[in-house]
Amino acid sequence: MKLVDKFTLWYLSATLIILPLNAYISYQSIRKEIDKATVERLMHVNERVAGQVKAGEPVSDHTQGCKIVVAESTADVPAGHVEVAEKSIKDIPELRDNDRKVIVSSYYNINNRLYKVTSADYVTRPEQILAGLRTSIMWKVVILLAFVILTARLVSRYVLAPFYSTLKKVQRFNLKTKQKLELPRTRTKEFNELNCFLEKMTDKAVKDYSSLKEFAENASHELQTPLAIIRSKLELLSESDIRGEQAHLIGDMQNAVEKLTRINRSLVLLSRLENNEYEATEKVPFSQYTRDALSAFCDLMALKSLRVKSHIEDEVCLHLHPSLADILLNNLLSNAIRHNQPEGAIEVTLNHEYLMVKNTGHPPTGPTAEMFQRFRKGSQCNNSIGIGLSIVKQICDMNNFEIQYHYASGLHIIVVNFPSEAAASKLLQNDERYLHEKIRQ
Amino acid sequence: MKVLLIEDNLELASSISEFLAREGYICEVSYNIKDAQDKLISFQYDCVLLDIMLPDGNGLQILSFMRLEKIQSSILILSAKNSLDDKIIGLEEGADDYLTKPFHLPELHARLRAIYRRKKLNGSNIIAFNEISLNIDTLEATVNGQLLDVTRKEFDLLLYFLVNKNRVLSRQSIAAHLWGDYTDNFANFDFVYQHVKNIRKKISAANGTDYIGTVYGLGYKFNTSKQ
Repeated sequence: MKLVDKFTLWYLSATLIILPLNAYISYQSIRKEIDKATVERLMHVNERVAGQVKAGEPVSDHTQGCKIVVAESTADVPAGHVEVAEKSIKDIPELRDNDRKVIVSSYYNINNRLYKVTSADYVTRPEQILAGLRTSIMWKVVILLAFVILTARLVSRYVLAPFYSTLKKVQRFNLKTKQKLELPRTRTKEFNELNCFLEKMTDKAVKDYSSLKEFAENASHELQTPLAIIRSKLELLSESDIRGEQAHLIGDMQNAVEKLTRINRSLVLLSRLENNEYEATEKVPFSQYTRDALSAFCDLMALKSLRVKSHIEDEVCLHLHPSLADILLNNLLSNAIRHNQPEGAIEVTLNHEYLMVKNTGHPPTGPTAEMFQRFRKGSQCNNSIGIGLSIVKQICDMNNFEIQYHYASGLHIIVVNFPSEAAASKLLQNDERYLHEKIRQ
Repeated sequence: MKVLLIEDNLELASSISEFLAREGYICEVSYNIKDAQDKLISFQYDCVLLDIMLPDGNGLQILSFMRLEKIQSSILILSAKNSLDDKIIGLEEGADDYLTKPFHLPELHARLRAIYRRKKLNGSNIIAFNEISLNIDTLEATVNGQLLDVTRKEFDLLLYFLVNKNRVLSRQSIAAHLWGDYTDNFANFDFVYQHVKNIRKKISAANGTDYIGTVYGLGYKFNTSKQ
């Protein structure tokens, strides 16, 4: 629900509660005022009639349209006393009219005799007041509704404009571009506070991010030289006059250095990928790359007695950096070989929409989605550093490829979907089904 | 072969020069750009091994300096930075090859030999040792004049052995040489074993001497003293 709708709703419900209350109060006060005015007028009439009586003039039945009754009274009330009574004519069935009548009786002492002067008049009935109020309330509600609904959106667009612009900028904000978030000043205090806070927060995030990156990069670069020294010294040592058990120790060290080197190199590559250092500048002939990679690995496949099937369509060109194309294919294929079983099979399919690598192998031990995380290994395979798939994933993310990994009926299936113009929207819409169809094919 | 090594790290420089000296190379070391420029003007080198990050500037400066002074030595860049830009700029500026630290010394040697071969106009395409002969252009290997049926990788491996005769070649170094740096392929060690086994079998089948021996715990060695 939009902010403006919330405000509008709240305002309208408040109005709906207040309007009847207000109407009730109006009704009461109007009625009271009418009664008061009538009583005052009748008192005047009585006064005048009393004057006539005092002067000995004849008193007519009606004075100023009010019915007058003058009678001597024996009631024990002081002169100047006024009695007010109301009478609803409804009570008199013959009249069948429900008018309301106000009767005012005043007592006067004229010539030492107590006179009771009574006058009466009809006043507006409550129902009539209510009817008038009802119409006015209805119009009020209609006008309010129309006005609020029509103007709320316009006004909110104007008032919330700084908020929306901030929102847009924050949404577009990307740590990796290392660009500061700059928000305009506004006249609204809350928005200014929000903008100030956001600017401070993002500035800090950008600073932290770049110092972290710098550290990771420097650390891995600085590690290269010491690694080169260790490696070269071990190689020199292995050629000196050594005994068997020393050779074994050196061999173990070389293994560890090798592993360290590869981890470091992969981390450097990953950070470089994150830095977008491998922007694709032109299309690469991916079909050719795939064939080359397959032939580069055919020795390994033959050594492991793997059956290889490949369906590679011609002229598949991708917007991808050539080095990344190599790394992507090498990692996928070497993974498919390494995690295969002897006498197993590998199937590589490439067309304009996707690249699919299927291979036999042991079922995965963990959830398949986690396979793309760094240092996550499927099997307790000591020979792997567990970073290959993570690199593949990063390459795919950078180039808007979509990668999926499944394990079904003894086959590990990795599908890399390419973002072709026509397929892009289709992929977004029915992602899952699309993939399942593809896997079944 | 006379080599100038421009590398600011003393330890690494001493490893490389020791290794190259054992190959019979004359290796001189410069630790900074200024010293290297002096040496390059005063002496003639067949090959220059160039580190990119040096205390008094970027190693790429040496490349433009050499072009300016018309120094014709081959250049092999050694860099810790492993940055694509450096690689491309380096190769465009006239370097012959690019090797990323940390590298294996036999790999360095193989690359050095390869660019030296390419540069020397009268250099032959045949690398031979006794009865074994490799043609680098046609990728043909012969033993006693008999053509061996070897795969590309086996040819590369045999060439690696021939260039690094009498040296212990670790399985890691062989794997890196054959399959490159980026594949996280430790299982390749098994494949190294298979490849070596196959080559030995093929050489023996052609009545060649089995020069390749296993060095226990470490790797393999092409032993020229074997009869």
